[in-house]
Amino acid sequence: MAENKLYFYSSSPHVKSKTSTRFIMGNVCIALLPTLIAGTIFFGWMALLFVAISVASAILSELVYLLICKKTFKYFMDNFDFTSIVTGLLVGLSLGVNYPLYAGAFGSAFAIIVVKMLFGGTGKNIVNPAVAGRIFVFISFQSIVGKWIVPGGELITGATTLTNLFQNGFSGNLLDLFLGVGLEGCIGETCKLALILGAIYLAILKIIDIRLPLIYVAVTGLFQTCLMGFDFNLFLPSILSGGLILGAFFMATDYVTTPNTKIGNYVYFVALGLVTAGLRVATGMEVVSFAILLMNLFVPLIDKFIRPRPFGFKKTSKGGGK
Amino acid sequence: MSIIKGKNYRYGIHVKDMKELCADSPIEKMPAPKKVYISMLQHIGAPAIPIVNVGDKVKKRQLIGQASGVISANVFSSVCGTVVAIEDIVTSSGLKMKHVVIENDGGDEEIFFDNIADFEPATIIERIRLAGIVGLGGAGFPTAVKLSPSTQLDTLIINGAECEPYLNCDYRLMIENTDDIYRGVKYAARALNIKKIIIGIEANKPKAIEAFGKYPDVEVVVLKKQYPMGSEKHLIYCTTGRKVPCGKMPFDVGCCVQNIKTVIAIKHAIEDNKALSSTVLTVSGNGIKTPKNLRIQIGTPLEDIIEYCGGLLDDTVKIVAGGPMMGKVMVGTKSYTRKTNSGYLFLTKKETSLSKPSNCINCARCAFNCPMRLMPMYIESAFLSGDYALAEKYGAMNCIECGSCAYNCPAKRSLVQSINMAKTKIKEMKNNGRK
Repeated sequence: MAENKLYFYSSSPHVKSKTSTRFIMGNVCIALLPTLIAGTIFFGWMALLFVAISVASAILSELVYLLICKKTFKYFMDNFDFTSIVTGLLVGLSLGVNYPLYAGAFGSAFAIIVVKMLFGGTGKNIVNPAVAGRIFVFISFQSIVGKWIVPGGELITGATTLTNLFQNGFSGNLLDLFLGVGLEGCIGETCKLALILGAIYLAILKIIDIRLPLIYVAVTGLFQTCLMGFDFNLFLPSILSGGLILGAFFMATDYVTTPNTKIGNYVYFVALGLVTAGLRVATGMEVVSFAILLMNLFVPLIDKFIRPRPFGFKKTSKGGGK
Repeated sequence: MSIIKGKNYRYGIHVKDMKELCADSPIEKMPAPKKVYISMLQHIGAPAIPIVNVGDKVKKRQLIGQASGVISANVFSSVCGTVVAIEDIVTSSGLKMKHVVIENDGGDEEIFFDNIADFEPATIIERIRLAGIVGLGGAGFPTAVKLSPSTQLDTLIINGAECEPYLNCDYRLMIENTDDIYRGVKYAARALNIKKIIIGIEANKPKAIEAFGKYPDVEVVVLKKQYPMGSEKHLIYCTTGRKVPCGKMPFDVGCCVQNIKTVIAIKHAIEDNKALSSTVLTVSGNGIKTPKNLRIQIGTPLEDIIEYCGGLLDDTVKIVAGGPMMGKVMVGTKSYTRKTNSGYLFLTKKETSLSKPSNCINCARCAFNCPMRLMPMYIESAFLSGDYALAEKYGAMNCIECGSCAYNCPAKRSLVQSINMAKTKIKEMKNNGRK
């Protein structure tokens, strides 16, 4: 027997679940694949190239940032947890092919360097990097705002299905809206079927709690129909148009920028729904990403006020009980 | 008689229980080793004072360490032989303790107590104190003190949950020594003057549930298989529906919780006049050739146990004393069986987790699963930034160190370690404040 062999020393517990950050983020990437495929089918190879460039830019930005911070390439490889791939994918998917190819790269680099790495890397960002990156591009390329490409390559100016909804009501096929056939919009937001498939995959793996985005979608739809004169025929069109499904299932559910309690999460997603619907009706534009960005800033506040009660907590004892 | 279902408690985790490694192997009696190293501190409280000298002949179950205070316990020799040394030994868990080393001469002379005079509570408690019985679940709190509460209690709960993965010793005892447990429980109940006896058993031990079903005055509560069901506070909640308030003890809600092994020791002390000199533990994990449940003399070196179980496999990376969720890790094999040991685990790289911690991603899995409803990530970040008062505000002192948070953490952060250190710092802070 090896008398002097030293064994590994660490604090309990000595068994741990297999779920790791890489596992979670890797599966989010997999869940986004159907959306990417649908986007490629509808918008052509340019869409795939656009997303690929923004993903590459996201990874590269992280590497460059770490190298500037005098970390080695090996450090980058050891600590690479797929979060930048998720960010890159989401930035790419939430922009349209009418943007120049470098726009996605631009947005991803901003998302990774300014929003994530400058705040301390994975888990330290205050707002969702992908949302912030998307908005950055959206604001920077003002000339493109309001112009969309419909599948087939024709550039249209003016009303999308959602903005049309506010002015003229809904006149179209719900199934087409669900599948994204012939629909203008961003690469990743048109095919709701693919998005929902991905979300179900994540829910099965217990990576996201599917109830929360559903609450968000339902509250948005209901509140919007209420604001638009209680016309409940508008309920389905208003949740299926625009980027609500993409935002709800993949952007709003980001761990870092959601509250840390179950009740806090319910509050957050209901509030998010109200804000989204309110802003949508007020501005007549698609505002899901702005709403998420805005509500992200309220997360610390929600966490400050909503905390679980320790087991056996009595009201008389102060400060979490002693 | 009555087998009822326990109350549900939502917060906790489901761990792969790995009990199949040795759940069906009966308890074997391991022969006494050549030399035993008996620690003088096998309990919470003041260490026992050695009352033998080097060169003395001792018999089996002879008193060698005298309790030195109320919260302390007697220590007995577990073999017959000669004291060869009384020295401070630093064991592999990193603690320095006084050990009495006895060389076994193979004799079988034993010392017994006199027959107990009567079965009055005071007599029973005195016998338990003399026999050096402590809480054998792991904490090692002297049982005699636990059985003399300041108020009248109404429920005695026996902890048969054994929620820790790998461990089987309580389970084996429950099906092999059912009657001993029953008799021990009756003495404990008598000492406390309690009528109501509950035994809580996790649903994954149907044989044990069946075994206890035959006693008319014991209520068997079947608990959901969930970690940490065996935690005192959660056991009380799930069996009686009472919540132990933060910072209070089970006797504040009229309950007394006893471990399976403790009640067997009580039975032996009272009926068989035997002092506590051996313990039952599980030797398991994929790193050992033949996992076994063993009855072991206290003070047996770990090396002898490994040899008896066929030796270690090369890919063992971690040795744990206790269960995998709360056990203490050891850097080497220099360890000697104590009263409170419930098992030795030899874990391979595949079973255990050696990954380095990365940034917290705020997923809040630790908070969702915390059985005490705390927010481990906030306690950790408060501790790491040195703000111990904030850590206390987040309820660090309520932590039961069950490890549910760190088990689920995808970033593999050492939450339990941080919270433990935060607790130490908070205690220090309070002590300094008092001075």
